[in-house]
Amino acid sequence: MSQRIFAAVQMLTVGFCVLILAPGPAAGQAFWREDTPKIPMAASWLAEKAELPPYNPPQTADGVPDLQGVWGGSGGDGLSYLEEHEYVDVTTPAQESFVSDPPDGKIPYTTWGLARRNEILAGLGRGWPDESGERLYSSPSAFCLNYMPRFSLSALEIVQQPGSVIMLGEEGYRVIPTDGRPPISEDAKFWFGNSRGHWEGDTLVVEVTSLNGRGWFDSTGHYYTENTRMTERWRLADENTIDYEVTIVDPTVYSRPWTMNFPRRRPGTGPDMRGGRMASAVMVNAPAFEDPYAGEVWEDACYEGNREGPASLRALGYDWFRGMTPPQ
Amino acid sequence: MRHRFLRLMLGLAAICTLTPMPSVGQTAATTPYTPLRTADGHPNLQGIWQVVNTAAWDLEAHQASLGVPAGHSVVEGGAIPYQPSALAKKKDNFEQRATLDPETRCYLPGVPRITYMPYPFQIIQQADKVSIAYEYLRAIRYIYMNGNPHPPGPIDWWMGDSRGRWEGNTLVVDVIHFNDQTWFDRAGNFHSDALHVIERYTPTGPDHLLYEATIEDPNVFSRPWKISMPLYRRQEANSELLEYQCPAYLLEQEWDNPVSTLFGEH
Repeated sequence: MSQRIFAAVQMLTVGFCVLILAPGPAAGQAFWREDTPKIPMAASWLAEKAELPPYNPPQTADGVPDLQGVWGGSGGDGLSYLEEHEYVDVTTPAQESFVSDPPDGKIPYTTWGLARRNEILAGLGRGWPDESGERLYSSPSAFCLNYMPRFSLSALEIVQQPGSVIMLGEEGYRVIPTDGRPPISEDAKFWFGNSRGHWEGDTLVVEVTSLNGRGWFDSTGHYYTENTRMTERWRLADENTIDYEVTIVDPTVYSRPWTMNFPRRRPGTGPDMRGGRMASAVMVNAPAFEDPYAGEVWEDACYEGNREGPASLRALGYDWFRGMTPPQ
Repeated sequence: MRHRFLRLMLGLAAICTLTPMPSVGQTAATTPYTPLRTADGHPNLQGIWQVVNTAAWDLEAHQASLGVPAGHSVVEGGAIPYQPSALAKKKDNFEQRATLDPETRCYLPGVPRITYMPYPFQIIQQADKVSIAYEYLRAIRYIYMNGNPHPPGPIDWWMGDSRGRWEGNTLVVDVIHFNDQTWFDRAGNFHSDALHVIERYTPTGPDHLLYEATIEDPNVFSRPWKISMPLYRRQEANSELLEYQCPAYLLEQEWDNPVSTLFGEH
């Protein structure tokens, strides 16, 4: 943690005030005022997208759309709470739902699946209304674990090579083969699953299988299982915006497929505060802050710097989330 | 009769190896491999690589033990030149390696250790940086080649700060700003936060890189020393980086263990 603070101080001596005034998850954890206007997500993006003229993306030397560059993540409350909500506390300001389909913005859980989700929510131990008073699970992200789709919802850099698309993050990466190879056996499970990409017109479509069902969508208990498959769609909506969509299918806990949708912006562009999670992405175009290192990603060492975190959660009585096993 | 013939042949073979004359190997050595180039004109080191050696267990020559394959030293000259007091600490580390080795806590293993752990990694080249994606911990390492020098310290990073440059066909990486928390192997070889590593990645054929690392640390060693080993391109048609999320497996195993030492004093 100390090196992280050092890096932040080192790089943000001038930029610090900018970050305080424009709260975002860049500094790891933002603190939001109660009167923060509702943060736009899927609904606002659907309205904005409907007005956009058609866009012909540039192509790489291989003749596929060129998605390369640094792209912000979903921004907003930093994946605190996926469905639409009003202000809850300083980490969870009012925000639209990530869910674009179903249109009501709710994750279409089965009855069994919703009961489990509500148990997690009631056992978060965050001092939120309607908690059970008993601590159940804490978000896997509290242990500095990385997984799908959390990685994919955060800022990243896309690099394209013949036969693969590479996504480089602040911590971690994905290499997505686009050469037509089959996925690994679904008997083998991974936090990131196993990704295979192909192009459909201007869209990079990524099928994610072999998920281990241990990750959450947000940090307040929207979960999936090892039966879940995800299909991501990455498409340039204009030169500075990727229209990012991910559809989730799992009949064992959801009554129908559902989709999240939001824009990813190049650093310093876009009309809202959906800027990237990468410090570099946020700071590249910050005025009055010219640091030659601003575009670099420096070591975070989240797990190494958070040795007391797991110990505290365990001492407080939280259980380790081993995934949900739906009824057959 | 047969024995005399064999001895004659062995004798001839010995003379052949002792007689200085151009051999296939020497010819190859004096004609450096010309690697393919990236679009930027630099040697193309991209792909999935892995070592085939026992350096992860011990950089120095070692005999086998339970779960540990024997191996030659990868250290030039054989032994790591410890200062006397540091050698005593190394021996102590070795005795207590089951609990002291930072690998047992799933921490970022540092440089060069992450290179020769038994997991593949992928080199990705761009104009401003070379990135190395490691299967181990899904760690991503950015080697900047954007003209920026090392940022001013002191900085204590697990993987250090990496700045790269090209010398002929060799990618040379200068790494400083380490902490003193990582080891070089499972045998207790260690360093201080004054560690300075200079790595060299040189293509020697379409499927081989020569990996060299020069290690300096005036607090621990009496002089700089060097390791070298080949890196092999993974040949499987379906080769890809999978994942080894060490902290997840460790936390899950230890969570319900009432006497676990993972959770400190809490």
